[in-house]
Amino acid sequence: MVRLPAFLVCFAVLTMGATSVLNGAETVWSGLVIAENVPQPQLIPPELTRIEGSLKKFFGYNQFQVIGQSQKILKTGQEDWLATSKFFALHVDARGETEAGYVLNLKLYKEEELLLETDTMLSKRSPLVIKGPQVGGGQLLLVLVVQ
Amino acid sequence: MKTFEEKWTAWVDGELSGRELSEFEASLPDKAAAEAEKAGALKLGELLKRELSARTMTSEEFFSHQLRESVARLHETPGRKAPETRSAWWTIPRLLWTGAASLAVFLVFTVVVMREKNPAEESQYLTQILNARVDPVVSPNASVSIFEVKQDRVTVLWTEGLQSLPADYAAK
Repeated sequence: MVRLPAFLVCFAVLTMGATSVLNGAETVWSGLVIAENVPQPQLIPPELTRIEGSLKKFFGYNQFQVIGQSQKILKTGQEDWLATSKFFALHVDARGETEAGYVLNLKLYKEEELLLETDTMLSKRSPLVIKGPQVGGGQLLLVLVVQ
Repeated sequence: MKTFEEKWTAWVDGELSGRELSEFEASLPDKAAAEAEKAGALKLGELLKRELSARTMTSEEFFSHQLRESVARLHETPGRKAPETRSAWWTIPRLLWTGAASLAVFLVFTVVVMREKNPAEESQYLTQILNARVDPVVSPNASVSIFEVKQDRVTVLWTEGLQSLPADYAAK
């Protein structure tokens, strides 16, 4: 008898909490990362720490260096921004927010040349990694994380 | 001195013998009729014996039936209590226990169903690639695949065949 009101209260609190989180501004980190195998790998950047295991296991490299990055606070879910390195540019165009995450259009440019375009639903709890072109002995990776 | 009736009865029963038998049979006015009457009496006797024995059997059966009924009545007493016990099984505490057990079973099934449902729900919160394309002029042999790494909930867009670039392009 006592459990039902308790359950309802918890449900209401969690729902309100989730709603406030949804309505709150969130930061999306987007980075251009070069993955390489080197004899003495450097420490992984803090933005990639939470997916370090998956990156190493999935791509088979031991070092990940950020060559370009951008942090964008999303308020309306309609913002767009650019993460750039010397030769590459990642253009991110946010096209709305849903309960599951942000709808993003991503374009990877090599100088003026469009290499890759994708539309994605970036979840707030699930990072996105895109395997780019091979660069020297390494690999360009594009990483987007909702922080 | 036996009377005729006594001798007749003894003759019919086959109890006369010797001179007494021959004297009695000689005294009979119509021996054939007497023999027929004797045969009829014997038949009647046999019939009565049969009937008497049948009556005896009936009595035995009746007695045994009575006995069976008594035994059944003795056994019936706890048997009659059984329905009372059955009706008394649904007492309030037992009803409560049954309700609690049913609720527990329901919760177990709910948990099982929820666990089966969770992966589908979680997938809603994994990043999804809606579409992806590469420039066919720049990279004519390129292809894209999508992977999900459950461990860190990472979604990977895997491209193959993109144009390789020299190491200089790794500059910041």
